[in-house]
Amino acid sequence: MSNKIMGMRPCTLVYLALIIFTFITFYVGEQHLSGLSISLIVLLLALIKGQLVGSYFMGLGRLQGLWRWPVFIWLFIPGTLISIAFYLSA
Amino acid sequence: MQDQVINNDAIAINRHPPGDLAIWIFILAELSVFAVFFAAYAFTRMNNVELFNEYQLTLDRKAALLNTLALITSSYFVVRAVAAIKLNDTRGCARWIWAAIGMGFLFVLVKGAEYAHHFGEGINLSTNTFYMFYLSLTFFHFMHVIMGMVILAAVALKARRGGYSDQEHTGVETGASYWHMVDLVWLILFPLVYVMR
Repeated sequence: MSNKIMGMRPCTLVYLALIIFTFITFYVGEQHLSGLSISLIVLLLALIKGQLVGSYFMGLGRLQGLWRWPVFIWLFIPGTLISIAFYLSA
Repeated sequence: MQDQVINNDAIAINRHPPGDLAIWIFILAELSVFAVFFAAYAFTRMNNVELFNEYQLTLDRKAALLNTLALITSSYFVVRAVAAIKLNDTRGCARWIWAAIGMGFLFVLVKGAEYAHHFGEGINLSTNTFYMFYLSLTFFHFMHVIMGMVILAAVALKARRGGYSDQEHTGVETGASYWHMVDLVWLILFPLVYVMR
């Protein structure tokens, strides 16, 4: 039984981390901070949040093989494209 | 011998994502569409930086913050629901799912108020390029939230009737996976559209 609920504590910590990262992102927005480095930091925070959701909430982090990676790949591709677009427009 | 069987079983289970495989095909398809949307937004912005930065300031970031917190919290509630059903706590599972739906309802209310405000000011898809992306991206996501709530409601009703157990809870994991996808997309959408400039 303990094995089945073993993942709850990390998920609760992840939940708290997601909340903190969200408030940091909101603060950046409220301060109207802009520029390439700020944008890339905000994007990086979002990608980390996405990976945490994929690994812990969706449970993909516990898997072996191909199914461990789809969320990471999904975050990596648009994350890279968005970074390039913001870099080129800076 | 028994240990080996258990270990082999664990390895076999851990090679497949939680829930029905079909929902994961659907999730990957939906994520691909959103990825294209995000890239299109970013590359279109390249030629319209001033316009995007100007009209981004007209958006309600407090509403977006509230919506982000609502979706993250609802996702966590869904995690609790899955944990509950693995302990054969069907009522607890149903309660956590209804709580997640409640957070989804909060998202719908806040987003609906945002749309009402924009439409009240005469803003629509043809107002400018920024609003075309903002409205289409967020509304596409909004429809996924609605669909997710319907799926979760169906799962909650079945859970309440005792339709799931610690041995058979594929339906709960399937609904949970879809709902996490809805959360995942918003986690990128929020900073991209409301904050990055």
